[in-house]
Amino acid sequence: MAFHDRDRKDFNAGVMYVAIGAFFAGFATNYPMGSAVRMGPAYFPTMLGALLVMLGLILVFRSFFVHDAELPSKTHWRPLGFILGAVVIFAFLIDRAGLIASSVVMMLMGSMGGWQFRWKEQAVTTVVMTSACVGIFYYALGLPFRLFPWS
Amino acid sequence: MDFSALIPNLTLGFTVALSFQNLIYCFIGCLLGTLIGVLPGIGPVATIAMLLPITFNLPPTPALIMLAGIYYGASYGGSTTAILVNLPGESSSVVTMLDGYQMGRQGRAGPALAIAAIGSFFAGTVGTFLIALFGPPLAELAFAFGAAEYFSMMVLGLISAVVLASGSLIKAIGMILVGLLGGIVGTDVNSGIARYSFGISELSDGIGFVSVAMGMFGFGEIISNLGLSSETRVTDVSKVHKMMPTKDDIRMSVGPIIRGTAIGTVFGILPGAHTVIAAFSSYTLEKKLARDPTRFGKGAIEGVAGPESANNAAAQTCFIPLLTLGIPTGAVMALMVGAMTIQGIAPGPQVMTQKPDLFWGMIASMWLGNGMLVILNLPLIGMWVQFLKIPYRVLFPGILLFICIGAFSINNASFDVYVAALFGFFGYYSSKWGCEAAPLILGFVLGPLMEENLRRAMLISRGDPSVFFTRPISLGMLLVAFALLLMVVVPQFSKKREILGAAEGD
Repeated sequence: MAFHDRDRKDFNAGVMYVAIGAFFAGFATNYPMGSAVRMGPAYFPTMLGALLVMLGLILVFRSFFVHDAELPSKTHWRPLGFILGAVVIFAFLIDRAGLIASSVVMMLMGSMGGWQFRWKEQAVTTVVMTSACVGIFYYALGLPFRLFPWS
Repeated sequence: MDFSALIPNLTLGFTVALSFQNLIYCFIGCLLGTLIGVLPGIGPVATIAMLLPITFNLPPTPALIMLAGIYYGASYGGSTTAILVNLPGESSSVVTMLDGYQMGRQGRAGPALAIAAIGSFFAGTVGTFLIALFGPPLAELAFAFGAAEYFSMMVLGLISAVVLASGSLIKAIGMILVGLLGGIVGTDVNSGIARYSFGISELSDGIGFVSVAMGMFGFGEIISNLGLSSETRVTDVSKVHKMMPTKDDIRMSVGPIIRGTAIGTVFGILPGAHTVIAAFSSYTLEKKLARDPTRFGKGAIEGVAGPESANNAAAQTCFIPLLTLGIPTGAVMALMVGAMTIQGIAPGPQVMTQKPDLFWGMIASMWLGNGMLVILNLPLIGMWVQFLKIPYRVLFPGILLFICIGAFSINNASFDVYVAALFGFFGYYSSKWGCEAAPLILGFVLGPLMEENLRRAMLISRGDPSVFFTRPISLGMLLVAFALLLMVVVPQFSKKREILGAAEGD
């Protein structure tokens, strides 16, 4: 039973389940448990958390007996970082700088997560998409956005 | 069963659906859904999540009519992409791709698209009629349900969702549990304690699963698509010469369309990955029935007609459990629950009695939407082809922006955007490890409902868990759930699941 020769997908998923289950069940100790008749807020999450830990342990245990399993695909840091980074920046800016600025920054940063980044093309897309979104969401649908930091 | 109310009900429905305003929204929904749906790599869930905010400011009836239109449009758009470029927009189009793309290669993309449209329309008509027919008696039945029955039904729903889906059973159940746990974050209705909120006021209202879906399906899919080693270039779009199928085409498609509709109808009502299974089953059946099975995979029109009808029938009938029992059977239906909740409607049997105009209007507009798709798709096919040629590197930032704005506008709060980003990260990694997002979304929706019904059932039975086994309906549903689990253990069936999973291949 070599540690290096295991089903990494199952192993990782199992560890994730154990962690999430333990977190929910563990944190539930802060809440009243109640009884089966009158279930407190801790009852259901404790049950589910314990079950999840069990499933996770099964996955981890089983993963050691599977050999030559397919490896999980590699993490693509570039799209992951740029896409989620752009989303977080959008969320940060929309409260402070309004819809237009946050959209422009998000479009530019997000597109850097792609394979190629072409300035001209992305500039055009950014202008088109930002005006389209302002037109659709702000003017046509009347959703309550701030367009500019000062508005 | 009492069918005498059918005619007045449908009349009411068509009066609502045929109003100018609702017709326009149904049309816009179908158009937008198809537009986004034809883009390769964007499935119906991502499409609906993306377009959901457009409906926020509408009154409930047009909003739901439009969303249903978006859903059909997205499903139909996926088939168009499958036939024209061999890239499935969604998992159920994988089947259409097998023979549809081959037909396209042979210069018969037009007839393939036309048959797909006709088959879908027929299936949609039957599906809509069945909803109208069986909706009321089922809702009647649902009123007789107690907490124990509701709880058992949700167990059955969740179990069948994972059994019928592809991939590892344990991982899928795990994702459901994660979803259930995530769903109960927020203020506990009974005790008023804000669970797992860590002093963050937004969390005491719970995690909105619409932003979870946007993160996992929207962001997660974009990151995965970008992670593919090279750009999947859409250079090879099949040419569409003439649309009309020949007499032979139609003659050969009649049987598959009818059989596909029957299969799809049944699978649609069952919870789980209904459309995919329905399409696969129909394909397998047609191949078995064919006089010359070797034609399949080489452009057999039956291989397009059957699965497309099955797919669309299932897409239609999966509204039945949602509208009558308030139980979503898949990720798309979960999003519809989200849309209804945002509109202030609690899905369930009471919708039919309290808001008959909404219920019947929606059903009538389902049929109209299916009709519009045929009218829309056949002449506009040239436009979709142009749309397919836009490279992904230009498209994805726009999709990203749409989702961001959508997540923000759920509550006009940046918090939901952060939640979506977090779940995008989670979804990216969990799918790497073979854990699918759809069961999680389902769990998210059902979490609070399950807890509530479990509590109520146990309170009524004075803490005796045997209540779930002594009430006949509840027992029946648990037995079916158990039987489904057993089926996976039986080698014959699990082999089929594997084949399905392999063919789905992503």
